[in-house]
Amino acid sequence: MASAVSLENIRKTYKSHMLRIKRTAIENLSLDVRENEIFGLLGPNGAGKTTTLKIILGLVAPNSGTGHVLGKPLGSKSARSRIGFLPEQPYFYGFMTAEKALMFYGHLAGLDANTIRKRSEELLNLVGLPQGSHLTLEKYSKGMLQRFGIAQALLNDPDLIIMDEPSSGLDPVGQKEIRDIIISLKDLGKTVFLSSHQLSEVESVCDSVSIINRGTTVRQGYLDDLLEVKGVSLITFAGANERAAEALVPPAKRVREENGRISVEVDSEKIYEIISMGRDLGFELQSVTPFRKSLEDLFIEIVRGEKI
Amino acid sequence: MRNVIFLAINVIRDSFRKKIFYVVFIFGLAMLALSPLLPSFELGLQAQFLRDVSISLTSLFGAVLAVIVAVGQLPVEIEKKTIYNILSKPVSRLQYFAGKFLGVVSTLAIILLVMGIEIIILIYLRLKVFSPIVFEGVLMVFLESCIIASFCYLMTTFASIPVGVLAAIFFYVLCHVKTGYLHGKLIEGVSGAWRVLTWSLYYIIPNLENYNISQQVGYGHGVPGGYTVRVLLYALLFVGLFIFIGYAVFRRKDL
Ligand SMILES: Nc1ncnc2c1ncn2[C@@H]1O[C@H](COP(=O)(O)OP(=O)(O)OP(=O)(O)O)[C@@H](O)[C@H]1O
Ligand SMILES: [Mg+2]
Repeated sequence: MASAVSLENIRKTYKSHMLRIKRTAIENLSLDVRENEIFGLLGPNGAGKTTTLKIILGLVAPNSGTGHVLGKPLGSKSARSRIGFLPEQPYFYGFMTAEKALMFYGHLAGLDANTIRKRSEELLNLVGLPQGSHLTLEKYSKGMLQRFGIAQALLNDPDLIIMDEPSSGLDPVGQKEIRDIIISLKDLGKTVFLSSHQLSEVESVCDSVSIINRGTTVRQGYLDDLLEVKGVSLITFAGANERAAEALVPPAKRVREENGRISVEVDSEKIYEIISMGRDLGFELQSVTPFRKSLEDLFIEIVRGEKI
Repeated sequence: MRNVIFLAINVIRDSFRKKIFYVVFIFGLAMLALSPLLPSFELGLQAQFLRDVSISLTSLFGAVLAVIVAVGQLPVEIEKKTIYNILSKPVSRLQYFAGKFLGVVSTLAIILLVMGIEIIILIYLRLKVFSPIVFEGVLMVFLESCIIASFCYLMTTFASIPVGVLAAIFFYVLCHVKTGYLHGKLIEGVSGAWRVLTWSLYYIIPNLENYNISQQVGYGHGVPGGYTVRVLLYALLFVGLFIFIGYAVFRRKDL
């Protein structure tokens, strides 16, 4: 599949204002976002996520490295007409109402007034903001601004949507709504590039991810590949308690009790052994699946490992 | 061009929503309305005095507004991050930079035009003298405030708001006072490197005294058309220069 965004060996240093000390924000970063996938850029605070997004949009120029977005050079104006961007903690002209602001941004995106009115209605609906409200944006709550920011990013019906922490400031219901919007964008054939440290969100929507730390790519690929632990399986039993299940270790690696069920982590070649041991103990076999660690485990493992 | 105009209109709208704008405006008008008349019975002299004072006041007012409006653009948009939603749209940095400045200049034009009309009305109400010549003075004030605004605008491409304001005040004083001083030095005759430096400074620093025609407006005869054209071109030159340098900085700025 063609790539929507690719970055190669990007390096970016910021000059501190007065002292002229250079801070490296990004070092040797490469990534590749395929068309029509949901791509997550993960990393701890200060890892360089926002900087990466800004480089793609041309808000910041890299010191070295190359890349392209939608087949155009990074930051190109014609690429931007097919991109929607949701900044981190978006802020808009406080004195405008949602409709007025959408009209302003729509004009800048090159749309005509009728199209903007039609799109505004659809989009305010989509993100769950009221139509025709007299409330100006400065009176919006954080979550409302975030929703407005998403509406604004989708005005031009973009092919690529870049979102910097899309669910920040939203309550759990709001987060779920945003997740649904992101997935529906993919169904419409669009590419979504988001940065986040909401790992559960990333885990539930992203097809592939890139984990960066201190400006460098640490791990990237399809989420399924990254989370699967080769050669390890997970067996679950019912009708057992943790104490009784301890008898399975070894040969099992680890047992855990969750909602009255026992999950057993085991090397794949020992599956049958554990199943028969469980049956002898009177446990009821429920499932056998490849073991998958959580994204959180992976993330912490990587970030901690890096720091040592 | 479309984008430039949308951005400019937005600057005008935004400016007219700021309270400080009206505070300065009302303060200027109040000073005018309350300025004492000369203890002279001669109507002509009184009108002359009022026109002179009102243009001088407008000039100060124009300078202050130029700074306020120009400084309130780039640094504010960058700090509030409203710039991201604009430059991530298909808007080039040139369109953005030009649109914002066009908005600043239009704001100044509108407010000074209103000011001019009010001065004429005030003078008419107090003395029953109609003085359209006031517009000539207001035009000069406008040109001067464009130069000041473009300088401020340039400063804020790399400096913070307080630094920009200080630099503007320094610039204003320098352009009004220093040119006369340097000219004096040149006539006095300095030598060698100093002479070169003085000469270059003399030409580099715009002479804002060119735009001080309050006396001529006071007398009621104004300035010749040729003079107006010359100082207009002079203003264009400096505004063009400052905006050009400003854009060169802004074009490569990390946001
Ligand atoms: N304008 C700037 N000037 C100087 N340094 C900057 C600037 N912007 C970012 N940095 C530095 O670059 C590094 C990366 O910042 P960036 O904002 O890209 O991180 P991030 O991954 O988005 O973090 P967060 O999760 O907190 O949003 C940080 O060390 C930050 O201090
Ligand atoms: Mg960030």
